[in-house]
Amino acid sequence: MFFHKKLSHTITLHPSFLGPRMREFVTKRLYQDVEGTCTGRYGYIVAVIAILEIQMGKIIPGHGSAEFEVQYSAILFKPFKNEVMDAVVHTVTKMGFFASAGPLEIFVSQNLIPADMEFDPNVNPPSYHNEEVKIENGTLVRVKIAGTRIDATKIYAIGTIKEDYLGVIE
Amino acid sequence: MQISKSRGPKRPQAEETLDAARLELGEDFRDAECLLISEVKVLLEAQYDSKKEEKNLKEVYTKTLDYVQKFSRYTNRDTIVEVRALLKPTELEAFECAQLGNLCCSEFEEAKSLVPSIGSKISDDDLDSLLKQMDSLKKYQG
Repeated sequence: MFFHKKLSHTITLHPSFLGPRMREFVTKRLYQDVEGTCTGRYGYIVAVIAILEIQMGKIIPGHGSAEFEVQYSAILFKPFKNEVMDAVVHTVTKMGFFASAGPLEIFVSQNLIPADMEFDPNVNPPSYHNEEVKIENGTLVRVKIAGTRIDATKIYAIGTIKEDYLGVIE
Repeated sequence: MQISKSRGPKRPQAEETLDAARLELGEDFRDAECLLISEVKVLLEAQYDSKKEEKNLKEVYTKTLDYVQKFSRYTNRDTIVEVRALLKPTELEAFECAQLGNLCCSEFEEAKSLVPSIGSKISDDDLDSLLKQMDSLKKYQG
């Protein structure tokens, strides 16, 4: 799910930046620091929407650098267990298939694919198929997130399509 | 002299116990504003040019942009506003509203199965008419 949320971030600026264009530097650094990052708590920070407030800077004693606390709002993307979302299949293997939903990587194991769908390694590209539908590279699928694992820079999810109303979408 | 600083409020709910089916999104996201995929698309596209100019296109941003362009259901802003207006008066939480808007279910059984937290918050007939109205908005958008 995508969220819009207020967050805060502390930026440390080297004394050489403490001049007339200071706010500009702080803003730029914020965009560089937070956009595209991923944390377990907030998920992916996709884009900063607005800078709400840059608080008065504090000089760090004995160091000379200044710290600024910046309040901003951003678009976050965080998957939750049991959330249903659409994704694009990009790799199909014997063990299951991988799909991506934006920055999120979802693996759907063979056990979580309906039993009537069979893996066919002899066709190119490889696919899972039954009489009606086929899952191959580029297929759009609706998956339910069964669990997530958070890495330092990425979130991985396990998905299932073995339930009603899940699977290939038109 | 104060030695130990308090480290903010109590620790967030453990990641493993969060569950969208029971609407347990944790402390941080309980009251957060949920966005429709189409809304994300509008917001991200607005930033595209300036980001490209500054060569600040990050992987997460481009991947998300691709994704929302592929799955955006509503093509113009007016439709998004109307869908929001349809969802607003209901008893549903922000998360459920956004899920309904994103998934575009065709019948109420489907909606209840995909977003189980809806449960009995809304009657089947109301949900059905809500889905039908959203569907017709989608069909006849410019």
